[in-house]
Amino acid sequence: MDAMTMNELHVVYGDGTLGLHGNSFDYIFSYEKGGLESLVVNAAEWLYRVPKLTFWRATTDNDRGSHFSTQSAAWFGADMFTTLKNVSIQVDDENIGLPIAPDNNRFSNEIFAKNVAITFSFLTATTQQTTVDVTYLVSQNGNITITVNYTGTTGLPELPALGLSFIMPEVADGFQYTGLSGETYPDRQAGALTGTFDIVGLPLTPYLVPQEMGMHMATHSLTVKNAASQQTHDHSTSINRLTFNQHTQPFAFSALPYTAIELESATHIEELPLPRRSVITIYGAVRGVGGIDSWGTDVEPEYHISGETNHAFDFTIVPFQ
Amino acid sequence: MLEKLDWLDDPRVFRVGKLPAHSDHTMYQTTDEIKQKQSSFTKSLDGDWQFHFSENPSQRLIGFEQPDFDVEQFEHIAVPGHIELQGFGQIHYINTLYPWEGKIYRRPPYSLSHDKSYKGLFSEAADNTVGQYIKTFTLPDNFAQHDVHIQFDGVEKAMYLWLNGHFIGYSEDSFSQAEFDLTPYLQAGENKLAVEVYKYSTAAFIEDQDMFRFSGIFRSVRLLAMPQVNLVDLFLKPTVDKQLHTGTLSMSLSFDGKLTGTSAKIVVQNPSQNIVWQETVAISSHVTLSSAVIENVALWSHKHPNLYQLLITIFDANQNIIAVVPYSFGFRRLHKDGHNRVTLNNVPLHLNGVNRHEWSPTGGRNITMSDMKKDISVFKDNHINAVRTSHYPNQIPWYNLCDQNGIYMMAETNLESHGSWQKMGAVEPSYNVPGSIPEWQDVVLDRAKSNFEQFKNHPAILFWSLGNESYTGDNIAAMDAYFKSVDDSRLTHYEGVFQNRIDEDRISDVESRMYAHPKAIKDYLTNHPQKTLFKL
Repeated sequence: MDAMTMNELHVVYGDGTLGLHGNSFDYIFSYEKGGLESLVVNAAEWLYRVPKLTFWRATTDNDRGSHFSTQSAAWFGADMFTTLKNVSIQVDDENIGLPIAPDNNRFSNEIFAKNVAITFSFLTATTQQTTVDVTYLVSQNGNITITVNYTGTTGLPELPALGLSFIMPEVADGFQYTGLSGETYPDRQAGALTGTFDIVGLPLTPYLVPQEMGMHMATHSLTVKNAASQQTHDHSTSINRLTFNQHTQPFAFSALPYTAIELESATHIEELPLPRRSVITIYGAVRGVGGIDSWGTDVEPEYHISGETNHAFDFTIVPFQ
Repeated sequence: MLEKLDWLDDPRVFRVGKLPAHSDHTMYQTTDEIKQKQSSFTKSLDGDWQFHFSENPSQRLIGFEQPDFDVEQFEHIAVPGHIELQGFGQIHYINTLYPWEGKIYRRPPYSLSHDKSYKGLFSEAADNTVGQYIKTFTLPDNFAQHDVHIQFDGVEKAMYLWLNGHFIGYSEDSFSQAEFDLTPYLQAGENKLAVEVYKYSTAAFIEDQDMFRFSGIFRSVRLLAMPQVNLVDLFLKPTVDKQLHTGTLSMSLSFDGKLTGTSAKIVVQNPSQNIVWQETVAISSHVTLSSAVIENVALWSHKHPNLYQLLITIFDANQNIIAVVPYSFGFRRLHKDGHNRVTLNNVPLHLNGVNRHEWSPTGGRNITMSDMKKDISVFKDNHINAVRTSHYPNQIPWYNLCDQNGIYMMAETNLESHGSWQKMGAVEPSYNVPGSIPEWQDVVLDRAKSNFEQFKNHPAILFWSLGNESYTGDNIAAMDAYFKSVDDSRLTHYEGVFQNRIDEDRISDVESRMYAHPKAIKDYLTNHPQKTLFKL
């Protein structure tokens, strides 16, 4: 179509999904599963499941000593069982709600747009519930700017973490990022150097008892290498890359072969399963790790994440460099 | 060219040059061949075929069916087998929504209004993969002078067929046998068969079963030599009197070929292999017999799957044997009384059944006899006495195994249009097909007819199932009426009428419920139920 030559997004109003297609990229958002279900760039699939809100981190030894995990245990459940409550779509800045059948009968296969935003609202699986909105804004060049808005609610315990996890189908060959050297946390980053770093694989910090690990604070850009799955019979060996860029503020991230729940469930390092996938989590809020004494005292107050105040973060997925 | 690519886009075109469906009997030249289970009238074409894969119709090789086409670009593929499990295309699973969900916007032709036909919906689509198959064959010597047919037991989802560059036919309905007459274009020596298989056509709207979405020639292919006298169709109607003492067999036989002076000797043996009835009749195009009375009949049931053997021997005018046709059948009395009580041989019918897909972890829906025998042994180990052929006609040997092992069958027609009426968990039939749309009636009636004609002689079948999860409407009612018009010995089954009870009185002899809570079952049964209830 003419619109394709103008590089507009091809919008497919499905019965359970919204499809957005452009030059060498195909995105499908699931209304039922609550997010971006398929992120295909150059025929390679980057998502194993929809991005998942992450509220938990594997208990650190200091968390155990200060009983933090017990006090914030509600977020363990929320990490696993938070549910989708609402979906709404904006096309070229106009709100069109959720155009499911029979409303979508009015469309065709010839619908194009310059930008499309889709917002998924989640209700946390906590006793005192709150909402978290995740908005994906897709531009015609394929860039996806994702904004996460957490609504603070009185009575909710402190958050172990607040992030959005991308579970990718394969174990990445490695990643490159521009930010701080080494493993950094809000209360453990003063000695880091700034620069661009190449990391091979998805290295674990070899704690005998697996715990929160692998955080990188104040990141401007992250590129993950070869975590996508190719089509069933595509045996080409080209390297696939996907980049996450800072939008309004730098972000924190970790790139590990496990979710926080998997790390939490292993009582010793040898209980971790064989790495099968990549878990790339972009964090908007990270809790500190150190106590003022050797063991037993909580993290310093400025490195807590309140459950009672709002939190927001954003970043952009860039499919083509 | 005769053939048109836009047949893919038109629900009114689903069979071109395809022979009418008929009973699933096999003809043999001698009784020895029956014992060896090897008919010299049959030549298998299973095995290695040449193959070319295209991402969509615009990329397919034009003219590949011509004898002089350069096949340098062709690779190899095993028949039977799915294309996607053999190095081409993409393995894909989706449940209720259509496989193009989120990728391409489609509506079924004529569903939103009678003038919407959507030109190029599949024939010009970007996502409609194409498999082009070539098989060269030389006829066996004993096929000379015979008409030759070809049978495809299963091809997903639409196929065009050529022989030596000449168009033979077009077929949809992935799970029913497609038979074509090759005779006019056969030649001495090598013959070139060309098959073009499309992953999608309008058939995809009514083949939306919850399963892996494959394409290709996934069941066997064979050539058949037609004897000078061919038994085209056999329709057995065994009945039993109320006292379960006397069985009566009526039968209707259709013949084709040089019939003058020919005759058929028809012999019935009981399960102890004693001859209980025989008769010789002159052959004409239609022979009807209604006089076979068998006293002290041995009944067929789950516990005692007694089978009688029919043997038809066809003689020419000089009393030489042309062909022999064996067929097993059974006597059982399936009855629904005025209170909707269903009995089999005067005993209330209790089904401990399963919904069974044809599935192998290595072959997908390309399953073997050993897979089927394993399933039967699983049934026996778990006291399973019934099976629903979820959600399409199965391979022919499965029906024979159910006859032999006393498994009650719900024989389902190849129909599921789940994505057209249920979205995001809600019943939303705004573009439901087949519904009551005239353009979608013939295609579903043809599927019902293929199911009935092929399997009508199997005692194991107690129910004709109209399909799965396709909502309701005139066209499904027409399927129900069709089955009743051709078969008064079985009941019809359809669950979908539960979704909208407007058609309850004209669709399904039984109340069929899936996923119903025990309380809902109790409520139905205690509130003057109109039908016998099945929980699937």
